Amino acid sequence: MLTYLLRRLLLMIPTLLGITVLVFSVMAMSPGGISAQTLIGGMDMKPQEKQALLDYYNKRYGLDQPAPVQYLRWLNNVSPIGFVSDSQGQRGEFSFSKGMDLGTSFQYGRPVSDILAERIPITLLLNLVTLPFTYIIAIMVGMKAATQRGSAFDLGAGMSMLALWSIPTMLAGVLLLGFFANVQYFQWFPTAGISSREAQDMPFLPYWDEGGFVRGFLLDRIWHLILPVICLSYGGFAALTKLTRTSILENLHADYARTARAKGLAENDVLWKHVFRNSLLPLITVSAGLLPSLLAGSLIVENIFSINGMGQLAVEAVKGRDRELVLSITWISGFLTLIGYLIADFCYTLADPRVSYD
Amino acid sequence: MTKSVSSRESFSARIWRKTLAGVGVKFGLGWVGLLVFCAVFAPFLANSMPLLMSKGGTISAPVLEYLSVEDAWILASFFIALAVFRLNIDGGKQILLFLLGSALAALLVNSFVKPPVLVIYDDFRGPAYTQVDWKIMPPIPYAPVDYLRDLGSKGLEAPFATEGHTHLMGTEENGADVLSRMIHACRISLSIGLIASGIALAIGIVIGGLMGYFSGVVDMLGMRLVEIFEDIPTLFLLLTFVAFFGRSLYMMMVIIGVTGWSGYARYVRQEFLKLRKQDYVQAAVASGLPLSSILFRHMLPNGVAPLLVAVSFGVAGAILSEATLSFLGLGVVDAPSWGAMLDQAVKSSTFNWWMAVFPGGSIFMTVFAYNLIGEAFRDAIDPRLSDKAGVKS
Repeated sequence: MLTYLLRRLLLMIPTLLGITVLVFSVMAMSPGGISAQTLIGGMDMKPQEKQALLDYYNKRYGLDQPAPVQYLRWLNNVSPIGFVSDSQGQRGEFSFSKGMDLGTSFQYGRPVSDILAERIPITLLLNLVTLPFTYIIAIMVGMKAATQRGSAFDLGAGMSMLALWSIPTMLAGVLLLGFFANVQYFQWFPTAGISSREAQDMPFLPYWDEGGFVRGFLLDRIWHLILPVICLSYGGFAALTKLTRTSILENLHADYARTARAKGLAENDVLWKHVFRNSLLPLITVSAGLLPSLLAGSLIVENIFSINGMGQLAVEAVKGRDRELVLSITWISGFLTLIGYLIADFCYTLADPRVSYD
Repeated sequence: MTKSVSSRESFSARIWRKTLAGVGVKFGLGWVGLLVFCAVFAPFLANSMPLLMSKGGTISAPVLEYLSVEDAWILASFFIALAVFRLNIDGGKQILLFLLGSALAALLVNSFVKPPVLVIYDDFRGPAYTQVDWKIMPPIPYAPVDYLRDLGSKGLEAPFATEGHTHLMGTEENGADVLSRMIHACRISLSIGLIASGIALAIGIVIGGLMGYFSGVVDMLGMRLVEIFEDIPTLFLLLTFVAFFGRSLYMMMVIIGVTGWSGYARYVRQEFLKLRKQDYVQAAVASGLPLSSILFRHMLPNGVAPLLVAVSFGVAGAILSEATLSFLGLGVVDAPSWGAMLDQAVKSSTFNWWMAVFPGGSIFMTVFAYNLIGEAFRDAIDPRLSDKAGVKS
């Protein structure tokens, strides 16, 4: 198992390199190259200022050098081992412990790592709340549809799940925001953000005091998260329900299930202890594919609900043509995706002892 | 005694018959047909100028005079497609003939159709077009870029909100009629869906075919490439492409196509890995046929069925990608698009329900239709996965 994990981790390196090469060449091939694209926002600057900025970038990032050299410089800065470079951009000696430097965002003028450290937890929170929610509903509905195969519930669920799956996230987001958060209709939920300003000073749990009910930090967070999580989850559970249903159907009539029934087990025990456990495998495989789609989904959801997560940052970075941010975000979302696949493979061995990677 | 029944029905004919048996797929095909109709005849369905009018004894057709090169080419291609479909020749030749025909039509249209450079929509509500003997207007008498400034429109009016001129689906922020824009936007959605998945399919078949046929090192390298394209969040790569390369419709088609091939490559690879050891492939190799012939003439037709499923889901995905880009404000500039209209629903301080319900609804219906078609294909090709399989009432 350990060798397998090691091999997988090593195989991640070429994939991650490939992803960055791809994105980097897109930027390098764009009209005018990276230097022209990065300075596109500086139209209102004085000529001297613009020249000074260009000089600074040239020194700091080598924007005047050919694209492959620029890429290698970036790679050297990002990788944990490589050549040390000083503030002049001169190359020093080779080192194994120089640490990673994601660079400075052109747009915000702050280190990319700082910006990402603020944004990633928010996106992860959104996705990690969504995942269990998705699985619970999917397994419930899928199980009921499979045991009552051919019934009205089964057919209705099949059709409505396909319909749910086809609803674009942005339509769901816009409709939910418009009807449930807007002052014109039901103003039940907040329109933006993941917590209100006053919630920062509240205690964590809700409580009663002389002023009345105080929401507390936790409830406030949940209240803000309800609409975004609905938007993120419905597509996932539609796909998962279908999968649960087919996978349970396959096992429901297997020999071991009949044996379990024959020895007098209650139907519920047969379902949950035998059939369900054996139907888990495909559900786990899909969970790995679910993560990238969740990341893409949060891109839209964060923009609709004005949540300051990585998805919103990605759109801002791309619109501002911020090279360092764009590269780092691609790199990190690629990394998260690969980690997702790795975890799925690991869970595989837990769910099915027959699978081993040695 | 049981009598054996031999069927002369070919594999593809059987798949078509089984696919068309469902209710959902009929609905899906119906919706797509409606979209095609709207896309082809958009200038005759929604336009500010009369279809036909008579003034002082002379009958003229202003819509035809103002028909743009694009409109004329789409019309010509549609009728060429109809004619080719009628001919009794095999599929590959039909496609080739259609492509040749529409290329020829493009040339002809480019050299002969010369619409007026400037279209002033206010003129069509002036005396030259109103004081006539009789005139026939299109069903929706507003063009998609007719901003109705002469009628004092403020934009973002709810359906039926204003007296005098009826907007069945309200107006958008610049005062143009939403229904008219929706009809013209069918073109963008349909063409993005078909062309982008066509490009993705072509790349996927070639790369997947080579991977499956050669296996070994080629397969290893190819799989890394597939993995790279799978692990990149496609939407993000698209955003990068569009932001750095500019927002042309054709660029978008190419980009969605270039980023979306990995799934097709996987399907083709899997099929080809199964097929490569078959006798007829070995025979083709032994008789010294060129590689392209082995791959595309002998192996591909036997491995194409699962691709149909992937393609119908892929078209839905491409349409969704375009809508998402437009929604994020990175879509085509100034051309009507469902995604961009949906964006206007919450842009202003109020919630404009008609901007959400109608364009969003048609994105949903289109994606749903393609998904239904894909589902029906899958049930027909692989009955084990079917919902209806083995259900005894």
